[in-house]
Amino acid sequence: MSAAQTKFGALEGVTLREMFSEAVDKATVESGVPKKDIQAAFIGSFIPEMLVHQGHTAPLLLDFAGLKGLPATRHEAACASGATALRAAVMAIESRMYDTVLVAGVEKMTSVSTSGATEALAAAADDQFESSIGLTFPGVFGIAAVAHMQKYGTTEEDLALVAVKAHKNASTNPLAQFQKEITLEKALTPRYIAWPLKLFDCSPISDGAAALVLTSNEKAKKYTDLPVKIIGSGQASASMNLCNRKDLTSFSASVDASKAAYKMAGLEAKDMDFAVVHDCFTIAEIIASEDIGFFKPGEATKAVRDGVTALDGDRPINPMGGLKAVGHPVGATGVKQAVVAYRELIGDAGPNQVAKHDTAIVHNFGGTGASCVVTIMRRGDA
Amino acid sequence: MCGDYNEEGRCMSKKPTVEAYLKNIEEHMFKAYKCVDCGMIIAPPSGSCYECGSSNMDWAEVSGKGKLISFTVIHVAPDEFAEEAPYYVAIVELEEGTRISARLLGFDPLKPQDVKLGIPLVLDYEMGKSGKTYLAFKPA
Repeated sequence: MSAAQTKFGALEGVTLREMFSEAVDKATVESGVPKKDIQAAFIGSFIPEMLVHQGHTAPLLLDFAGLKGLPATRHEAACASGATALRAAVMAIESRMYDTVLVAGVEKMTSVSTSGATEALAAAADDQFESSIGLTFPGVFGIAAVAHMQKYGTTEEDLALVAVKAHKNASTNPLAQFQKEITLEKALTPRYIAWPLKLFDCSPISDGAAALVLTSNEKAKKYTDLPVKIIGSGQASASMNLCNRKDLTSFSASVDASKAAYKMAGLEAKDMDFAVVHDCFTIAEIIASEDIGFFKPGEATKAVRDGVTALDGDRPINPMGGLKAVGHPVGATGVKQAVVAYRELIGDAGPNQVAKHDTAIVHNFGGTGASCVVTIMRRGDA
Repeated sequence: MCGDYNEEGRCMSKKPTVEAYLKNIEEHMFKAYKCVDCGMIIAPPSGSCYECGSSNMDWAEVSGKGKLISFTVIHVAPDEFAEEAPYYVAIVELEEGTRISARLLGFDPLKPQDVKLGIPLVLDYEMGKSGKTYLAFKPA
């Protein structure tokens, strides 16, 4: 019933606990939810041990944010950490153990060097069999891109168009790391990170936090006239190793998690007004939009070219700019994606508002696609 | 997986282990796992068979022949590999059916458009500047 995020970016001088506390304050007291109503906390954070040398973060963060004493657990599933925390919170409320809980995600990535952050991120891949031969995260998605290009004729320009759209949407999002539009020519600048992926195909290294307050259907009326309901949740896993995947042009965990979420909601892809998907790389958005059933395999690139996924298109995807342009503080991302869906659904997205906003699908995946959580959200009066 | 440990806690059994798999690569003697129950060839190691679920594994020699499934060229590498960049990492399907991740040799990393998927490859090894030995493939 409330949702907020900090600004994403290189937040110099702001520590992990401070950004966490800022997001929590925005989602609680500043949104009319007293902190004393919160009964438990579910926190997504990927790897603060390597990034800020801090483990056992859940009680530390709660203490600083004025929620000392509550049951608090950190959930880790690489880039899907945030959505696994959200799913655990949904299950806790559905089980009737709690009425009102906090879900928050946080990551501080810029306190180490770029290579330090790259090394920390690489811990989300199989260290013994893939990272050990020098495969990086951009490399994983480079391999997926090459396979997609071979099978469907996807081009580097198709990928660049996803980046152009992301930057365009983020240009009106004051919380985004990048608020400047880019031209197709700029997106195609041949600064390769992992061929065929270039600098503008990759999401940045970011700091940031996001928070949501979830409550039971019965209690929601107490706080708001316009709640958003979580009507479907699915989670799946897959082999960490790319080489163990039969198909490199699709992520099976994304397909499985979205099927489970649609089934729980009793809805299909065609019933979704827009999607928030995990675009850690441009190719990831292309594949995710196919995996969640928005487009048939191989047809997402045409949709991007035709503007179907643009803010004013028929099937908007990442209307506020996605991970690509808003930033990707890993553990915060899954929670931030739900914040985006919440704001769009209640009509609070300002210049980034999509036209139809009754029902949304949120797709958050982790690492090499080995974890995926899909959440379906619907405005209470829809 | 092991079940037979010595006093130092090291696996004494002849059954395949991850440590032995990695050591075989270091020694240029790559071997895959094989499911004793259904015969499926598995690499990299898995604790249970993808085909039948059995956890009864043995070593298997492989022909070393394979084909290229997909690849990338790493330009921005972690510190450990930075001196080697740009370099190819590929997914290769062995003749025996399993797929492995490996370095790809014999192509100019600045001309990846010349590399065609599906081409035949053979097993090789690469001694990296990092001091590690990588599993690698080169054109057959």
